Amino acid sequence: MPRLLSTALSLRRDPRLLRIPPYVSAFCIAIGVVWLLLLPLDDYSRRTYVSENALLPGQVHTYFGGSEQHIFRAFRHEVDLLADKNNYEVNDKLESILTGFGVKVGRQNYTYHSAGQKYTGENVYGILQAPRGDATEAIVLVAAWKSIDEQLNRNGIALVLTLARYFKRWSLWSKDIILLLPPDSTTGTQAWVDAYHDAHDSKHVSPLPLKSGALQGAIAIDYPHEQRYHELHIIYDGTNGQLPNLDLINSIVNIAGGQMGIETTVQQMTGHTDSYQDRLQTMLRGMLYQGLGYPTGPHSSFIPYHVDAITLQPTGEGWHDEMAMGRVVEGSFRSLNNLLEHLHQSFFFYLLMQKNRFVSIGTYLPSAMLLAANFTIMAIFLWVKSGQPTVKDVDSAKEKNDGMEHKGDAAQASWNPLAVERNLLSPLTFVAICHSISAIPLFVFNHLGLNTLPLAFLIFSVASTVLPAIFSFAAASLQKSTLQYFQLTKSFSLLILGVSLATLSTLNFSLAFLVGLLASPLTFIRPTNSVATRGIFAMLLIITSPPIVILTTAWTSGVTLTEVLKAASLGWNVWGMYTPIVIWCMWWPAWLVGMTNTLSPISKA
Amino acid sequence: MRSLLSFLPLLIPSALVSATEYHEQLNLRPLPLSALLASFNFRANTSIADFEAQNFRLFPRSLGQILQYAGTRELHLRFTLGRWDAESWGTRPWDGTREGGTGVELWAWLDAETDEEADEKWLTLTNALSGLFCASLNFIDGTRTIRPVVSFQPEGDHPNTTLANTRLLHGVLPHEVVCTENLTPFLKMLPCKGKAGIASLLDGHKLFDASFQSMAIDVRPICPSEGECVLQLEQTVDMVLDVDRSKRPHDNPIPRPPPGHDLICDTTKPYHKPDDACYPIDHLRGQDWTLSQIFGRTMKGTCPLTDAEVPPVCVHLPSTRDLFASQGAHEIRYPNNDSLRCYHIDQDSEFTLVLTKSEFPTEGGPLGIVKPETPVLYAERSFTGHGQEHGGVQAILTNPGDDSVEFVYMESLPWFMRVYLHTLSARISASSPNTNSSADLIKEIYYRPALDRARGTQLELLLSIPPRCTVFLTYDFERSILRYTEYPPDANRGFDVAAAVITTLEPKAMNIRTTSLLLYLPTPDFSMPYNVIIFTSTTVALAFGGIYNIIVRRMVGANEVPRTAMKDKVLAFIQKLKKKKSAVVAAAAAGGKASIEPVSGTSEAK
Repeated sequence: MPRLLSTALSLRRDPRLLRIPPYVSAFCIAIGVVWLLLLPLDDYSRRTYVSENALLPGQVHTYFGGSEQHIFRAFRHEVDLLADKNNYEVNDKLESILTGFGVKVGRQNYTYHSAGQKYTGENVYGILQAPRGDATEAIVLVAAWKSIDEQLNRNGIALVLTLARYFKRWSLWSKDIILLLPPDSTTGTQAWVDAYHDAHDSKHVSPLPLKSGALQGAIAIDYPHEQRYHELHIIYDGTNGQLPNLDLINSIVNIAGGQMGIETTVQQMTGHTDSYQDRLQTMLRGMLYQGLGYPTGPHSSFIPYHVDAITLQPTGEGWHDEMAMGRVVEGSFRSLNNLLEHLHQSFFFYLLMQKNRFVSIGTYLPSAMLLAANFTIMAIFLWVKSGQPTVKDVDSAKEKNDGMEHKGDAAQASWNPLAVERNLLSPLTFVAICHSISAIPLFVFNHLGLNTLPLAFLIFSVASTVLPAIFSFAAASLQKSTLQYFQLTKSFSLLILGVSLATLSTLNFSLAFLVGLLASPLTFIRPTNSVATRGIFAMLLIITSPPIVILTTAWTSGVTLTEVLKAASLGWNVWGMYTPIVIWCMWWPAWLVGMTNTLSPISKA
Repeated sequence: MRSLLSFLPLLIPSALVSATEYHEQLNLRPLPLSALLASFNFRANTSIADFEAQNFRLFPRSLGQILQYAGTRELHLRFTLGRWDAESWGTRPWDGTREGGTGVELWAWLDAETDEEADEKWLTLTNALSGLFCASLNFIDGTRTIRPVVSFQPEGDHPNTTLANTRLLHGVLPHEVVCTENLTPFLKMLPCKGKAGIASLLDGHKLFDASFQSMAIDVRPICPSEGECVLQLEQTVDMVLDVDRSKRPHDNPIPRPPPGHDLICDTTKPYHKPDDACYPIDHLRGQDWTLSQIFGRTMKGTCPLTDAEVPPVCVHLPSTRDLFASQGAHEIRYPNNDSLRCYHIDQDSEFTLVLTKSEFPTEGGPLGIVKPETPVLYAERSFTGHGQEHGGVQAILTNPGDDSVEFVYMESLPWFMRVYLHTLSARISASSPNTNSSADLIKEIYYRPALDRARGTQLELLLSIPPRCTVFLTYDFERSILRYTEYPPDANRGFDVAAAVITTLEPKAMNIRTTSLLLYLPTPDFSMPYNVIIFTSTTVALAFGGIYNIIVRRMVGANEVPRTAMKDKVLAFIQKLKKKKSAVVAAAAAGGKASIEPVSGTSEAK
């Protein structure tokens, strides 16, 4: 044992040890990616199960149907009559219908400003008081007037009205049922949920005149689909990649599939064959939505307030009708009504492979953590190396002589225990400058008007490519840029990136993984005097630069740049989406430092 | 007197009460949509002299003895479920004085010289009542008890000398679910035990299916200006039934969609088509019911002990609507209140009432009911904020009338809700007509801060709201972290916070209670530690039990066991004691040397 220790200690002084970290970093990236690809396999993913016993999904008879369909048709006619009316006229009618059932109705005005545009509207909502309840808890049924695809949510609105009338007759509700009818699927629910939790900006969003108790769950119906449908699409991604409790999704899958015989699907994966490819595709789509952190439906706004919510969207052509949809909602509400405690049993961090297969955080987190660790390992390595000029000497000797005269012993002999003083001021200043100017794109893209946004983005893209060259020129003219300077700037920059990504991976795994993967070239670039290598590095970095990645993504997904920028600005201004911070304040400064280092000519020590 | 309480004058004023008497009355009042308020009132008097001599006749002995034992001067006990919808139902029955917050509420004046004595008697009282009413009243401990200063005043006539030596204690259990087991003891206290009279209509199924129900028990001494003092026991049940729900047959309570041809449709709609599209207008249909339909049984005569002067059933309906009573009952109308009709009933005949459908348009709006009176004050309370660290409470108090309202707002908060009193503020909403008088809304504050794990916060505010104004009363609080053993099994449900009690002083005295609240505290993830504890405990128990058994137990045949094992042991023990004694004696004689001897002695004895 002592011998083993002493060997280990002597190994610590072996300069060969210092050659390992870059390989470890590369290995971390490779393992991280392979790990993710392994997740869809049966051995790594699990079947879902309902964890909360109180839910008892699909255990009750649902009675919605029969003559309720006549009423549904009547309400749909009413909705058709209102199709061309403005928000206030629509709400007047909806209010009169709801008050007719004995539902208490409230209204709320809101105005949001984003990208120079004004998003204004009026929410109308009704509280169906639990017959014997005490306003301590509530569940929410949402149907936005305009669906996610900006169509008239014709069936959804009619269904909510019919269900409200039907629910009113039952005396078994233990929680109030709130019927929320916002004018659109994006801003309306956000204004309402913010105001419900008193987190609204009272200048733009008015407070709610009526309130109930703590929200226990929310189900949104997005049903502009005209024909009979084949399957239910469950949309579950919340703002900033937060997810609802898995039990809620499980219950719906259980009720729709087990009781009603309706297929369910997630992430628009129609015709999922449960093959490896389909599972991987579902998972990657889920990761993409999670990584973007953009709200995917009217339910998304609830999730940051720890209210579990999903949107149900009938799709495909089949034989299921509106009444079946109504029974699914009825069954789900009966399940939620059974809840004694807030949903807490099941998972909040998961990746769905299929409607009934998932990976939990314990299994998938290592892949993002490994990507983050690669930066940290490299940062520590560079820090150590920057204080050991002898190693640098050895390296430069290797470079010059193109061969090793004395290996092993000689290297050990040249080991100099006296570390060189690190000059910290200029590297720290440079990294600090890079991080502080990242506030500029963050501010600009979230405050500019829609007309100037694309132009600003293009100017910024060009500036972002030119800036490193200016920086490297300025740095070179200000001081003699030594190898130590480059090592230290890179070390600090990677250290920040590694730490932030590791933290982010516990909050939004997908975003951390995607940014980690795109930033991974930063680990390996280094200043060189060879023009060809420098060119290759520069090209690689330009391809993986944040503006270029955004442009490429927009182009490949068939969305215009304007729409992307508008959505990002809306996400920031309305939903408090933090993806822009990650991109502009974490990734972009790291890229800036890396690019500057690449372009800088190395001066001979 | 178009008040909801207009039936009060019918009850004989207390000045005329004789020493021993009993009466009961049921008031029915249809409310908007399909709601129907049924208000049962039972009142029994006994003279103080009889009570003190333990001579019980109409006053239940079980309760009387508890009151005597716990030295209770005046007692108020409330069991409440659901909420009163003041916006559509108007003023509360009895001006809110006969209802409590959700759950169980108890307040009493106890004979006590000191606070300690009061606590002791309070403990006795709550425990005894807990047994009597099958409610968890024994959980009203120090943390849930407060001593209100201004909110409650004695209702009975107490001589000033006794009042000086009494203490008022108030306790509330917001999470208590009121159910049939509380109704049975309630009915048992009645002289006719729910077998005859209006109490025969009280059925647990219907009562607890009501949208709002409140059971109240009030004991108070009444001293008329002439005559002797009496102790009055008043039992009240108020319930708001949903007529549609109540009319469903007992064996088929599921609200299945009706057949298409039974729907009541708006035929004027252009798209109306039978069996295709039907715009429902059933909410415009007025109420029609029979007494036996809504209560699930008929009324069995009157209680023989009741005062014959008081009509047992009264109904508040516009005089134009038709209401038919069964034979043998005769209707009384009152000239000063034309919307009231009462019925005298034969003692033995069954009684029922039939309300037929109103024909549009009738007096009192399309629904054909007496329009509910607007309450003096609307109160609503909710939590603000989110997250598990800080929170706020917001009470919205609206004065719809033309007079300014003065009232006491009382909160009894649990200790783990740490109130920041400096954040307490009252402001008049911007939409109100006079917004400049925000400063002097709160006139007085009585505040008794909480002590961790010992007592809760008591907050009483004297407020005044100008006419037609809405006031937002807000304060912030911090959620404290409990010890892990202090969490209930359903920790993630949250903790109930009792209703705020509002006692108006001007323009008229009445009570309002807000809804209770559900407070989330920071809750640890119990599943992991609990699983670990349960698994390790099980493993340890199984492994330890088995292994210990194998190590320690010696298997011997029945014939190998020495016959007098017990006797031997006893003898050996006596011998051991003897040796020890002799050894101690020897040790005392020969110094420390002999200390080994008793050890060897015992080993020999084995």
